[in-house]
Order: sequence, then structure tokens, then C-alpha cells
Amino acid sequence: MSHSLEPRLARYIATRMPDASHIEVSALERISGGASRETYRFQLRYREGGQSHTRKLILRRDPPASLINTERRIEFEAYRAFHGSEVPVPKMMWLEEAHEPLDHPFFIAEELTGFQAAPQMLFAGGYDGVLSKVAERKWTILGKIARADPAALGLTSIMDRIAPDACWRRELDHWEHIFDTDEATPQPIARAAIRWLRANPPPPAQTLSVVHGDYRTGNFLYDEQGEIHGILDWEMAHLGDPLEDLAWGFNPIWQFGRGHSGGLIPQAQAVAIWEQSSGLLADPAALHWWILFNCVKGQGIWVGSARAFIDGGNREPIMVYPAWWLLNAQDRAILKVMGRL
Amino acid sequence: MTPEVPVVLSEMAKLLIRNAAPGTPDGERANALTLSSMLIALAAEVWDGAADRLVQENRALARLLSVPAVETDLHLSVLQAQNDRLRDLLIIAHVAAEDAGDTVRQEAIWAELRTSTERRALSISLV
Repeated sequence: MSHSLEPRLARYIATRMPDASHIEVSALERISGGASRETYRFQLRYREGGQSHTRKLILRRDPPASLINTERRIEFEAYRAFHGSEVPVPKMMWLEEAHEPLDHPFFIAEELTGFQAAPQMLFAGGYDGVLSKVAERKWTILGKIARADPAALGLTSIMDRIAPDACWRRELDHWEHIFDTDEATPQPIARAAIRWLRANPPPPAQTLSVVHGDYRTGNFLYDEQGEIHGILDWEMAHLGDPLEDLAWGFNPIWQFGRGHSGGLIPQAQAVAIWEQSSGLLADPAALHWWILFNCVKGQGIWVGSARAFIDGGNREPIMVYPAWWLLNAQDRAILKVMGRL
Repeated sequence: MTPEVPVVLSEMAKLLIRNAAPGTPDGERANALTLSSMLIALAAEVWDGAADRLVQENRALARLLSVPAVETDLHLSVLQAQNDRLRDLLIIAHVAAEDAGDTVRQEAIWAELRTSTERRALSISLV
């Protein structure tokens, strides 16, 4: 039985490919995860220039209410900016911000096939021999993102610019506001961390970088040789302090219970790889500030997912699972980073 | 847990009925059922101890805050509402202790916060 979105998607693509004929969408299926966007893979067949073509594509559509509320244009442009660079990303095809074609805004990209993203598979044993290679590639690529010139990438016209000494305050204000608006129960541990962060601000950013915003194990595509073929989930991308991106992966949550950063290698090794790749320095005190900030940010995301479910905007189980699984673990991560556990 | 367990289970029941209907794409059915089963497993894990955890924590908070503990109604929703009130008061007390430089009081609050995460710990906790 075909998916109800298939004919609508085919009609939309026909408007974007005026030289093509016999356009057919098939095998559309939703990919697990994707709490901030509904993600589907599908197959596109069409005729053009006297030849038949088949392409595997990805549809990323806004849900009714999201775990993370972001502009899909920023995500789309971030992908597009890095395509063909040292930072591997899938090729973007079309961005549609109107609601009419598929009920919610969406974009379509090429699917990178034959690779894995799930941390569970990476840590199941079959990849143990290449985990150090994955780690080396993971933090090398993050260093490339950090050293990239946002203006040269054309992203300063899409993303808000900010002064180097204002990066930390903008991010902290944003995520504290999420607690103010979304928390369903009091969060005394996160609130204490926020007070500490305000009382002990970090130094100004050493440079203004593109910040991926969710750079962690689980958001890249890897193969059996330990190579990384695609950096995914740019929906929280913005301009800011590059240490913010480095520190997100050091949130103890993303150790996946394995005791290493990203479940892969000790933090000091990851920092060394990143410094070598980026040409930047990770001042330990500043990095600590950003790790604690990212614990607060993580808690803000889990609080937000619970709120989206409670308010009825999105009643899918993916909105509940992070809240149930991670709210208390994130509190413990905050305590650990603050030396209270 | 937040969102509250009864609301989530009610929603999962509706989801299971929808997925029992013909015409649901296999991949979407598999995703929905996998996540639902994980949620049901977590609900089962906290079920027996939920009231006890809230009573223990509310008593500890009441002692720390020097307010009376009220246990006339043991519905989970009532105990949770009391817990929310007490944890709001704990935040206020924590700020006051920081402003006053009262390190002894701060340490007592941190100890309760640490214990609160142990009360809530799940078997699959990552930290």
C-alpha cells in the first residue's frame, strides 16, 4: 500500500523539475527518530533528456510541534554551505516554506545510502576496531566546521551575527527562557547551574564560527572502516563560540554510559584532535563553562519535548521518550560537571 | 516522570489502536510500536515505587525547608503537586543561601538535590 504523501510529493517535485516527465514517487517510509523534523526516505523516478532516472531522496518536514523549534531555512542553508567542502553533508535539493504542498514546510535532500548513524550499532561490538578512527574523523571534521569562515560560506546573511563577547549570554538567555516557558515541574538543579553560569561567564569567543548545535555521536553517518560520510541534523546551527560545539559532545549524556567522550575516546584526546584541526585553543576553564552550559541546554531540550507533548501539539512517543529517559540523567550530568556528584 | 504516566499510557493506547488498523506503513508501525514498548517498560519500572518516592522526597524537603508535610491524599497527582510546590520553595531557599553566603545551608540543599536524582534513577540511566 502506498503512502498518502507520495502523490502529493510527486506533484510538488513536478513543479520543481519542469523539464522532467513521468515523475513517480515510491517506497516512501518514515525514518525512526527525528523529533524535531519528520524524516522520510523515498525513491524518485522520472524521465529527462530522453533517459530514465532513479534517485534516492530524503524529505524533512516540520511536525505540528517540535522538540526543537528552528527555522528550516537555516538548516537548509547550513547544509548547502558545507556541501562539497571538507565537512561531508548531503546535497540539498529544494526548500519549501509554504504549508500548501505538504501541510508543513519541508526540504528535500539526496540520501546518503549504505551508512549507519545509530550509536547503538556503533557500540554493539562490530565497530570496536574502528572506534578510534571514527573519533579522529569526528573531531577533525568539527575542527573544520570551527575554522570555516561564516562570511565566505554565505551564512552571515542567514544566521544572526553576534559579538564575540556576547555569544555566551545570548545562548544562556535563550535556553533559560525555554525553562521559563516550558518546564512542567520545577528544575532546581538546572536553575542552580544557570545561576553559576551567569556568575562565572567565559572569556569572549576567540573567533566567530558556525556552530552546528547538535554535534554528537548519533548525528553523523559512519561506515565499517570508521570513515564519516555525512554530518546530519543542522537544525540548531547558528553563529557563535566554537567551544560551544566542542563542549556539546562532552555533555556526559553523550558518553552513552561508556565513560568516554561521545562513547569513543577520552576528552583530552578529543580536544587535542579538535585543536589540531581547527587551529584554535580550548581553554580548560572556558570549555568547562560551555560543557555545563550544554548540560543546561540539553535539559532545556528535554523539558521542551515534554511540553510539546503535554500541550498536545505533538503526541508522538518520540516526544516522551527523551523526557522520561534523560531528564534525571541530565540532572545527574549537571551535578557531575559541577563537582556535586 | 514528566509527562505524567497516565496521560502517556492513555496516548499509547490510542497509538496502538491506530497501528492495529490496516494501511499503516510498515516502517511507521515498527517505529511507533518500538518506542511505545520502551515507554511502557519505563512506566512499569517506576510504577511500584512512584508513591513511595514522592512521599519520601516530600518529607525530606519539608524537613529541609521547615514546613509541615501534608499527606492526607496519596494520589500520585496530589503528591506530585506537593512535590512541585516544595521544589519551588527549594529553589527560593537555594538562592537565599547563596545570597547570604550560607555554605552550610547550600551544602544541605545540594545533598538533597543529589539524593533526589538517586530516587529518580532508572535502570537505563546514562549518568
